[in-house]
Amino acid sequence: MEPRGSSGVGSGNSGTYTPEIAESLRFEEEIQSLIDPSFDASSAAGGSFTALLGLPANQAVELLHHPGPGEPPASAATDTLRLPFGCSSTFVERAARFSVFATDDSPASSSGGGLSPGLKAEPPDSDSPPTLPAPAGKPRRPSKRKECEKSKVSRRPRWGFLSRKAVAKKSKSAEENTSAAKPAAEENTSGDKLPYVHVRARRGQATDSHSLAERARREKINARMKLLQELVPGCSKITGTALVLDEIINHVQSLQRQVEFLSMKLAAVNPRIDFSGLDHILSAECGPLAVASGCGGGASDPAMWASDTAASTGGIRRMPAPPQIWHLDVVHPQQSSTVWENNGVAHPHFLLSPATSLVGYDPASSVPLNSNRLKTEL
Amino acid sequence: MQATKSFEQAFLKQMLLGIQLSAVSHGSGSLQERKSAIKLSADVAMAVARGSKKWTRGLIASLSKEEQNRSFLQFVLGKEFERPAKICHSSWKIPRSKNIVRRSLRFLSKRKSNIRAPNSSVLAGTLVEKRTQVLKRLVPGGQSMDAFSLLDETLDYAACLRAQVDVMQKLMTTLEASKHSDAQRPKEKFHLLPMVGSWYSTRKGLRKRLSKRPKLTL
Repeated sequence: MEPRGSSGVGSGNSGTYTPEIAESLRFEEEIQSLIDPSFDASSAAGGSFTALLGLPANQAVELLHHPGPGEPPASAATDTLRLPFGCSSTFVERAARFSVFATDDSPASSSGGGLSPGLKAEPPDSDSPPTLPAPAGKPRRPSKRKECEKSKVSRRPRWGFLSRKAVAKKSKSAEENTSAAKPAAEENTSGDKLPYVHVRARRGQATDSHSLAERARREKINARMKLLQELVPGCSKITGTALVLDEIINHVQSLQRQVEFLSMKLAAVNPRIDFSGLDHILSAECGPLAVASGCGGGASDPAMWASDTAASTGGIRRMPAPPQIWHLDVVHPQQSSTVWENNGVAHPHFLLSPATSLVGYDPASSVPLNSNRLKTEL
Repeated sequence: MQATKSFEQAFLKQMLLGIQLSAVSHGSGSLQERKSAIKLSADVAMAVARGSKKWTRGLIASLSKEEQNRSFLQFVLGKEFERPAKICHSSWKIPRSKNIVRRSLRFLSKRKSNIRAPNSSVLAGTLVEKRTQVLKRLVPGGQSMDAFSLLDETLDYAACLRAQVDVMQKLMTTLEASKHSDAQRPKEKFHLLPMVGSWYSTRKGLRKRLSKRPKLTL
C-alpha cells in the first residue's frame, strides 16, 4: 500500500486540488507510519478516507470531484457523496478525510488481505481532533459541526460506525471462512473494488447506525439491480424490486430450459453426424481468432479428428497458417497467439473480464465482426 | 464484447472436447444418456470458461455430487477439480454473528406483532424474500450467498447462460446444415461458427499430448 499511495499522490497533481493533495500527503505519511510495524488503536485514529479506500489520494479526490465515470460500486459511493445541498465541496472532502478509521489488531487486519489493513473504525468523536495532524482547516471542523445543519453534521461520525460494522462483518466472515478453509470469502473481501461505501445521509432521514447500514446495503443492491435490469430484456421499464426479480427469475429459468432443450436436440442430431461432419467446416474455418486457453488441463484429444480433415471435402482450402500453428502448439499453446499477431490479426484478450463487461453482450454484433475479420485475413 | 467472444471461444472449445471425451459421438446409448452427457459437458465447459466465480464452483460441486460424473470431471479439470470440490459444500451456511442473529430475531418478532396491520413495506419485503429464495435455488451455489453477492452472481450467471445458449444454437444450426447437404460449400457457414476455428487450431497439439495420456472411456 505504501508505494501505491505515494506514487498515487505524486501522480495525482491536478492543479486545482493542490491544497487537498497537500493535506492528503500528510495523511499518507501518517498512514504509512501506521501501517508499517504495529497498529495502535489509541493513536492510530488518523486514517484517511483515501487510504481506506485503498486508492491513491488523487483517485479518491477525483472520485469526489468527478463522480461520473466508474464502476457501479464506485458510482454508488460517489452518488451518495454528491451533495444535494449547496455545501462546498471542500467541506465534503475534508469531512470525508477526517472521518476516522483506526486500525485494529494486526492479525485480524492481515487476514483480511491487502485492502483491509487500516479498515477498522473507531468512534471518531473523541479521537479525531487530538490525534489528527492539524492543518489549517482542522480547527474549523468542530465549529463547523455546530454551525452546519444538524442533520448533515451529526451524520459524519456515523460513517465510523457504518464502516466498523461493515468491516467487522467482513473480518468475522474472513476469520470464520479461513478457519473453514474457504478462500472464496477472502477473495470476495479483497476483490471488492471499494471496501467502504461512504454514505451521506440525506436530509430528514434517520441517523441511526442501523438504518445507515441498511441504506448503504440497499443502495448497493439497487445498483446491482440496475445492472441486472439492463441485462434482462424488457426489464428496464419495470419498477420495484419484486417484479424485477420476477423477471430475472423467469429469464434465468427460460435460459436453463433452453440449454436443456438444445442439448436434447444436439443429442438427437448427433448419431448421424458423429462429429466428423464438423471437420470440413472446421478445416475451412481456421479462423483468425486466437486461442483462448481456457481449459487448464488441456484434457485429451478427441483422436477421432485425425487426418481426414485434410482429405475431407469442402472445396475450400485456406490453410496457409494453421500447419505452422500446429507445430507451435506442440511446443506451447501461447505461442500460437504470437503467430496470429504476426499475421497482423489482433487477437482477443485471453483473460475474461469481470461480469460487468458481459452486460453489454450483444450476440448479433459479434457475428458480423468475425466475418469481417475473416475477410481481411483471407 | 471481446470478453463474450473469448468466453464463447473457450466455451465451445471446452464443450467439444468434453463431448468427445464422453464418447457420445459414436451414437451409443439412449437419447437420455446422450442428452445428459452433452448437458454435462456444456455445463462444465461454461464453468471452466468463466474461470473462478462463486457460481462456477457451486456448479462444479453440484455436478460432482453424482458419482457418474466424477471421472469425467476429474479428467477434464485435472488437478483443479479436487480443490473446488473439497471447498464447496452444498450445506455451506453464511457465518453469522450472534448479535446479528439476535437483532434479526428481534425484528422478526416485531414484524410478527405487526401482522394484523401489514404495511406495504413488510409485504414488499416478504415478496422480495420469496423471490430471493427462488433465485438462490436457481443459481448454482446460491444457498451460501448473501443478497448482494447473489445479485452479482446472478448477473454473471445469466450472461454466461445466454452465451452458452447462443453457442449451442449456432452449433446446432451448423450441424443440421452440414447434415442436410454435405456437398454444400462450407463457406456460407463461416458466419455461424467463427470461434470453432480457434479450437481447431489447437487440435494437432492436443493430439500429440493425447498419446501420453490414457484415453478415458465412459
